Amino acid sequence: MIYLDNAATSGKKPKVVIDAVLNGLKYYSANPGRSGYKTSIDTSMAVYRVREKLYEFFGAKGPENVCFTANCTHSINFVLNGVLNNGDHVIVSSLEHNAVMRPLHFLRDKKGITFDVAEVDFLSPEKTLENFKKLIKPNTKLIFTTHGSNVTGTIIPIEKIGNLCKEKGILFGVDAAQTAGVLNINMKKMNIDYLCVAAHKGLYAPMGAGVLIANKPIENITVLGGTGSNSNQMQQPDFFPERIESGTQNVPTVLGIGAGVDFVKNMGVDNIYKKELNHTQYVYEKLKKIGCKLYTPFPKKDLYLPVLSFNFRDKNSLEIGEYLGKKGIAVRSGLHCAPFAHSTIGTIEVGTVRISPGIFNGISDLDSIINILKKYK
Amino acid sequence: MKRYVIITGTVTYAIRGRDILRKEGFRATVERNTVGIARYGCGYGIVLNGNIEKAVEILNESGIKILEVSPVN
Repeated sequence: MIYLDNAATSGKKPKVVIDAVLNGLKYYSANPGRSGYKTSIDTSMAVYRVREKLYEFFGAKGPENVCFTANCTHSINFVLNGVLNNGDHVIVSSLEHNAVMRPLHFLRDKKGITFDVAEVDFLSPEKTLENFKKLIKPNTKLIFTTHGSNVTGTIIPIEKIGNLCKEKGILFGVDAAQTAGVLNINMKKMNIDYLCVAAHKGLYAPMGAGVLIANKPIENITVLGGTGSNSNQMQQPDFFPERIESGTQNVPTVLGIGAGVDFVKNMGVDNIYKKELNHTQYVYEKLKKIGCKLYTPFPKKDLYLPVLSFNFRDKNSLEIGEYLGKKGIAVRSGLHCAPFAHSTIGTIEVGTVRISPGIFNGISDLDSIINILKKYK
Repeated sequence: MKRYVIITGTVTYAIRGRDILRKEGFRATVERNTVGIARYGCGYGIVLNGNIEKAVEILNESGIKILEVSPVN
């Protein structure tokens, strides 16, 4: 199997991650933050060390602001449900995933919030910024945007938007599902208040690994329960991470996140992006040569992620995806849980086939998909 | 030398506080809190000996929320 579906999850996990997860199962099988015996304390320490790594890696306010969640979608839900109330206005990009759009529609219908959509310009970050800026209203409480589209790979200029939010006193949340570990992210420098991370993608952790880094309070909480602290009170603690982390944590996965951060730091974020983007640029030209329909300009550095959508010979994208799967090529076809983004590029009726090369792919993997597509009848 | 527990409630703050104090030369450990369960519920504290006033000052400056300081037998 040639795996080119790294935007869904990093298909191959590094040995250091696998070892860390196994060590978690073998040596840290005691509930952290709940007891005083050695294994429980050791487990608490091990979990805390991962918070520290993420705090440093993403430039968060403190290690305690790093909260572990089930996935990036849960992290996004904690933010949107947590900060938005009746009468609040939100601005999102035109490339959002259902992880953002479904909660927003729910909050609009049930809670009386409103939202507007800023069009993303595929070539000009400045124009994208202007499109966000002109939608700001007196009641705009939050700008929430994907950092990079899981359909088109387009990078959103989050540092510019973060500066705008700081200037206007608006909260700023980022869905970094496609970018954490692929692009440099510094919450302080970029003025990000809430960072939502899919650690099983660019940080190579097991699936079911999400992170929410909250540098600002979260007022409304949707999951409440035991935290091992303040247990005599019926109110959820008002401090992180317990504000978010109710119930037993997935310790082996958390340790896998820590090892994934180490792996990425050793490889170098810039090196990972460079290699993956080179492969994306290579396959872009090859797809173009064999007559594929592409929906974005050539994926230039700093404007695009290693994520590429295409269609072939006017065929339904699902057919092409199935054909490639049967030939041993793993890609994702359809709407990618992002119909909103597909509406933006005009593919809501047919979907697209998505290629997302990873750090473990070689050029020969990309030649294979081209050769197999050429044989499609 | 007299020993104290600085009750922080959450284990996360206890570990962070312990790391900060160790960097400042204190001998400190994280232990499950055994005092004040009726006031604070379950939780954790930093057990240390040394200049308790200085330790509290350092933790306050670092933003570590302290619930109580108690002597330990």
